[in-house]
Amino acid sequence: MNGIVDILYRPRGRFAANHVGAHVSSEVGGIGVFRDQAPFMRYPDARRIDIRATLRDPFGATYVRRFEQRASIDVYALVDLSGSMGFVGAANRFRVAVDLCAALAYSVTRVGDRFGVFSYEGALIDRSTIPATRSRRAALAAVERLGAETPRGSSAKGVLDAAAALGATRKLVFLISDFRWPEPLLEQAFDALSPHDVAPLVLIDSLESAPPKWGVLALRDSESGGRRLLVMRPALQRRWIEAEQARRRNLARLSSLRSRAPIYIEDSCDPVDLSIRLTAA
Amino acid sequence: MNALGFDHIEALFLAPLALIPLLRSVLRETTIPSLLSAPADSLSAVARGCLKLGGVIAIGASLLGAAGPYVAGTEAERFAEGAQIVMLIDRSGSMNETLAGRTPSGSEESKAAAAKRILKRFVEARRHDLIGVAAFSTAPMLVTPITDHIDATEAAIDAIDRPGLDYTNIARGLAMALSMFKTSEADLSRAVLLISDGAGVIDPKQRDDLKAEFRKTNVSLYWLFLRTEGSRGISDQSAGDDESPQAAPERHLDLFFRSLGVPYRAFEVESAEATEEALKQIDRLERHPVRYVETMPRTDLSASAFALALVATALLIVAKLAEVGLGVNGGAR
Repeated sequence: MNGIVDILYRPRGRFAANHVGAHVSSEVGGIGVFRDQAPFMRYPDARRIDIRATLRDPFGATYVRRFEQRASIDVYALVDLSGSMGFVGAANRFRVAVDLCAALAYSVTRVGDRFGVFSYEGALIDRSTIPATRSRRAALAAVERLGAETPRGSSAKGVLDAAAALGATRKLVFLISDFRWPEPLLEQAFDALSPHDVAPLVLIDSLESAPPKWGVLALRDSESGGRRLLVMRPALQRRWIEAEQARRRNLARLSSLRSRAPIYIEDSCDPVDLSIRLTAA
Repeated sequence: MNALGFDHIEALFLAPLALIPLLRSVLRETTIPSLLSAPADSLSAVARGCLKLGGVIAIGASLLGAAGPYVAGTEAERFAEGAQIVMLIDRSGSMNETLAGRTPSGSEESKAAAAKRILKRFVEARRHDLIGVAAFSTAPMLVTPITDHIDATEAAIDAIDRPGLDYTNIARGLAMALSMFKTSEADLSRAVLLISDGAGVIDPKQRDDLKAEFRKTNVSLYWLFLRTEGSRGISDQSAGDDESPQAAPERHLDLFFRSLGVPYRAFEVESAEATEEALKQIDRLERHPVRYVETMPRTDLSASAFALALVATALLIVAKLAEVGLGVNGGAR
């Protein structure tokens, strides 16, 4: 695990948590940033009685200062194990995903949050799934088990099962996939994950968006096994690139109201760059 | 239509192999995450179909070519105007001389060359005749059988001015000429055109055989006698009464022909112009509708099959050369 740089992140929205941690939450507590004053009868914390507010009150009620409790959160990585994730182009896509998970497991547990991994293809894969844990060792072991898997699923419908397994409390979810999904599934997945703070990490390959200008290209789909022959020429190359751009626009549109904007990871993951994007307000 | 046949039918047992291109692509495939990223393209769909078809044709046509297909030959019935004529040409040594009896020099032409020139013109004028060519010297030679292929006949006539040799054996030449006619076509107008510059003695036994043969085949006989200047003519009566066939073979041959009982005419010519005149007369005499059967050769189709396979293979090679993958060096596996 040498050379791993912490991946920093800032959750969006109010997280409810019982554990004190590093992130802003909706919990109120005794330390942190001042939040408001509450009547003692509602928040009976004798140590935080606000004497000035109590004296100023014409009705003689006692007030207590409340603070925003900083809390730890649950971070989940939802890893797509469908066949398209096994694509080896300029980079080994699945390797990139596993390395990213390992970096997340390390960084998340270091900052005191809990880390869990759900992997899915047509359904949830139990072998390499672990609920959120604060143990770095367990989290890294889970990532290692994930690395032993071979992506060969023929669909990614399991993302809906994973979303259901996450529960209703808000979590930070890294949706790690190449998002080569049919559009209805994309929509369903973003809908199902909308209670959570979702950061779609889109793994793309530089080869995918750089088709050759001339030549005969025999293609095979990694998931369905479908075949297609393309007689490449400049017009078709242009259409290919336009289709790729349209896909990105579509992904941005689908995610715009339900999650963060998709973060594209081309060929290799740069933790610094990723941190900047994840901590942006 | 004619029956289709194969020389090596066993090659066709491998024909199911031709379906393999439908199951597998000839091109090395590139795996991509999803075909959703590759735009659909109608031209490519057509190309894909062509390549599949090309693969099937390349294998199928090769096997078909190896099987050696052919269309069996047939017998075609044809109609012609004229007659069946066998030219029986003397190739003895004396034909090398001119009509004046000398070795040709300068612009003079030999009897054989004159005969060739005149006969060619005769053949060209009668394009619908069926003409066969035979030659004789000591032994008879079949040059071309009776046919309506003018080119073959002309080529045969072209060959008769090669220097001749040996003696004049008319009896065997006539026997061969008669044997060239088919007995089943006895209703046709048929003629033997004998071109010689001398006569030979026919011994009595052969005389009887020839006489019987002529009667049976009912063939007209035209004798074009190229008389050398100063030699004896057909009708020249010799001084003595007790002349022998050896002394005046021309006259005795003429007498023998007259005794055959078939239409017969002799033309005694001493110059090329007279020869043409004689041929014109023959031309007028022999004009009747003729029906005959010609055997067509079988048509070999394996060359076309191999050509088709070559075209299909070339198409596949072009596709293979144009094959690319994603990325710089073939890209994705």
